[in-house]
Amino acid sequence: MRRLVVGIALATLAAPPLVAQSSTADLLQQASQFYEHLDVERALPLLRQIVSPNWPFEVTPAERVEAYKYLGACLALVGKRDSAVLYFRAAIERDPFADLDSDRFTPAQLGLFAEARRLTFAVAVRPVVSARIDPRTERLSFTVVSTHATTLEARVRAVGGSAGRVLFSGASDGPREIPWDGLLADGRLASPGRYELIVVGRSGLVPRTDSARVFFDVAREVAPLEDTLQDLAVAALLPERAPRSAATRSLLEGLGVAGATLAVSAGLSNPGLRGSLRAGAGVVADAATVSGVVAFLVQRGQPEMPANVAANVQRRARRAAENDAIRRRNAEKLAAATLIVTPAAGLGP
Amino acid sequence: MDAGYGVERSTGVLFGAWGSVRVVPHVELALRVEGGRLNASTPSAIERDVGEVGLDARWSASPWLVLLAGATRRVYSTDLGRQSWTTAGAGAEARLPLLEEGLRGVLRASLLPVVSVSGTPGPNLGVRAAAGLEYHWPTVGIAALYSLERYDFPRQGTAQRLEQLAALTLRLDVSPGSSRHR
Repeated sequence: MRRLVVGIALATLAAPPLVAQSSTADLLQQASQFYEHLDVERALPLLRQIVSPNWPFEVTPAERVEAYKYLGACLALVGKRDSAVLYFRAAIERDPFADLDSDRFTPAQLGLFAEARRLTFAVAVRPVVSARIDPRTERLSFTVVSTHATTLEARVRAVGGSAGRVLFSGASDGPREIPWDGLLADGRLASPGRYELIVVGRSGLVPRTDSARVFFDVAREVAPLEDTLQDLAVAALLPERAPRSAATRSLLEGLGVAGATLAVSAGLSNPGLRGSLRAGAGVVADAATVSGVVAFLVQRGQPEMPANVAANVQRRARRAAENDAIRRRNAEKLAAATLIVTPAAGLGP
Repeated sequence: MDAGYGVERSTGVLFGAWGSVRVVPHVELALRVEGGRLNASTPSAIERDVGEVGLDARWSASPWLVLLAGATRRVYSTDLGRQSWTTAGAGAEARLPLLEEGLRGVLRASLLPVVSVSGTPGPNLGVRAAAGLEYHWPTVGIAALYSLERYDFPRQGTAQRLEQLAALTLRLDVSPGSSRHR
């Protein structure tokens, strides 16, 4: 008896685990085959199992939508029009992009599906697909849908940013491609960061409004940018006011010139000739002394040095021109950037 | 001057003109022409006409220092004859800025190792010095310089010839179309 229990335990451990995905998919596949053979009576229980809350396996949103579509199609075939519309609406509510292939379904089924669309109102956006676009020549395309005639507005904006740019505003019905050139409301290329496309629709048939949004990340592929030059440091500029010592130095220089003039007249002249135009030397010495005193008085108040001020203005202007040129080159590089768009993980920033 | 017969002093006003041109950065060539009459101020002196041509090279070694080299040809004419002087020398000029707007003091000294005087041996010593003020506006400048040249000739017997030329120079500079920074 103990050997039998051990054998059963080993068999349980060795058995492959149930794969939920494949179980639902298998059942859906089986139901689909029954439907294709018009064996509606056998297809319906399988489909009802899948959408039942008691179904023990995982059902993906796409599988659930598919199950609802086949349920509606099966019920349409057996003449249960209201039930068919009900299941079609369930499919559309879960996926506004849901549709019936006109090659595989009958006009009656298509008609009921269209009626379900008229009774149900929803808008949706397909997730953004990773793309690399040159904004000058290419466009990023958003796919949006409304289940029936709608006044639709699609707006792209930075997450947490301002109102954003309206990409589309007007009447729409069914799926629609909305192109985006990468520019924002201010006319500038989108900066790197997280963005969202918000779609708001107001039904033209029923008093309902719906919205949907999709998040995506934008990055730029751009040539390396240049750094602007720093403002000129004090050491790179000429002093714009005379230093306090300049007054004293000018006074000493004036007195020095006066003394040198007298020294030349008295010391260098030949004493044997008794005369060296000393009156002329006195005039120059007096002028030098007066000039030194005047220079001292003028510079004592640290006057502005116009030549240095003008030279500094020129240096600052040159530096500003260099930085303007750098900014211009950087702007050209940014304008030629390539945008790399990837779907954002999660819902928000 | 004193040629061994007592001091002879002459005074007068000379007029002149000069022009300069920058040949390479920081280097200028200047040509100077002067002339006039020196009147006798002492009984033993005689009136003399003076004419002078000078060529100078100036190298601005720094904003405040200029190195000089030049040659001068000077001719004295009297009723008795002519005497020509040829000098060559080198020196330096210091420029002392008194005000940023263009007023500066000038100190100049040159040694004249080459002095040739017609009819007599050259002097043992030849020096020239000057001091004064210059003021420059953008295109116009004025200058007042006191200068002195001294020549001591070799003694011949009991007599020694001494010559000295002192001058108060007033100068007007004009630089059409550009700022002057000589």
